Amino acid sequence: MRLSLGVAGLLAFAAVGYAQQVGNLDAPPAKPKSYVVYAAEQQSVAAGKRSVLELHFRVVDGFHVNSHTPKSELLIPTRVELQPATGVKADAIEYPAGTSYSFSFDPTEKLDVYSGDFTVKLPVVAEAGTHTVDGTLRYQACDHAACYPPKSLPVQVIFTAK
Amino acid sequence: MKRSGLVLSVMVVGVALLLWAGWHNLRERKLAMQQAQENHVVLVPEKSGAATSGSAMQPDPQSPEAEATQMRGKVAPAFTLVTLDGKKVSLSDFKGRPVLVNFWATWCGPCKVEMPWFEEFQKQYASQGLEILGLADDVDAGKDAIAKVAQKTGVTYPILLTDGKVQKAYGGPDGMDYLPMSFYVDKNGVVVEETAGLGSKDEIEAHIKKVIASGATPAAGGQ
Repeated sequence: MRLSLGVAGLLAFAAVGYAQQVGNLDAPPAKPKSYVVYAAEQQSVAAGKRSVLELHFRVVDGFHVNSHTPKSELLIPTRVELQPATGVKADAIEYPAGTSYSFSFDPTEKLDVYSGDFTVKLPVVAEAGTHTVDGTLRYQACDHAACYPPKSLPVQVIFTAK
Repeated sequence: MKRSGLVLSVMVVGVALLLWAGWHNLRERKLAMQQAQENHVVLVPEKSGAATSGSAMQPDPQSPEAEATQMRGKVAPAFTLVTLDGKKVSLSDFKGRPVLVNFWATWCGPCKVEMPWFEEFQKQYASQGLEILGLADDVDAGKDAIAKVAQKTGVTYPILLTDGKVQKAYGGPDGMDYLPMSFYVDKNGVVVEETAGLGSKDEIEAHIKKVIASGATPAAGGQ
């Protein structure tokens, strides 16, 4: 009896698992609302000393964004805008170098882009304590054949100065 | 004891069969989906009355492919916009002629790739009445930046400054989600083809030939 119940349970579990798999297949593919994702993480720095905070971003697979220094003044550069925070003196933001990219339809036109992971560095001198710096990442994304209007991604840098 | 062992074996085999059937079904469906995606067939809503291609797959309504079917078969929304030099231009000015309405922006790389092609086709098919209108989606970039791109790409066809309404009329409540977007409007004012993103030069020319051929009257002969 116990054995039968166990097997029946197993059968039900298998059926539910199968139904879920089929259900996932029927769901429409998810379209990213944002083409860049921010990985917020708690950081620690030495109080009163110049330290560098890191802001980690990831461009969604299949897309790229202009680097901070695109090769044309008409292209919109990726940039972080931060609001002033009490007890935090921020220095000029450091951006990584981009990589070369060209659309397959026009291999001669070279662009300077970020794709995959990229890290923006923020040098700070902070008073002891926990700090939150709010800001925005401004970027403009494209895929292999189309471009998407400029977007803003909210960013919050939380860190402790000891 | 022997009997319960037999029952257990039968049940284990049953479960294994069920799991195998589930996996097999899943694999088949995945393959079918991949095939459907490779065929790149997009359904056109029945309401539009346009010819549909057979496919059981409904595309993501927000994808560029789906967006490129929203206007097909419909009457192109009317608009009156201003050119870079302040001249008023309406879609109705070109009634009876095939018109390519192309939305672009200064920050859009693929747009700038196809603009010289449009210029070339404008000249090539002028005798068949073709008119190309370039609608700058990012008016906030300023006239100078828009003019600079037009000059750099060698465009001489009218560049119109969008008003916020025309993007919604052609792209939906949020305006243009992607650029470039092109609408091929025939002599009767009907959108016969719509494309999202950059296609090849050959594809664009094929769409131009289609829009020239479409409509009740024969070729306008360069009015």
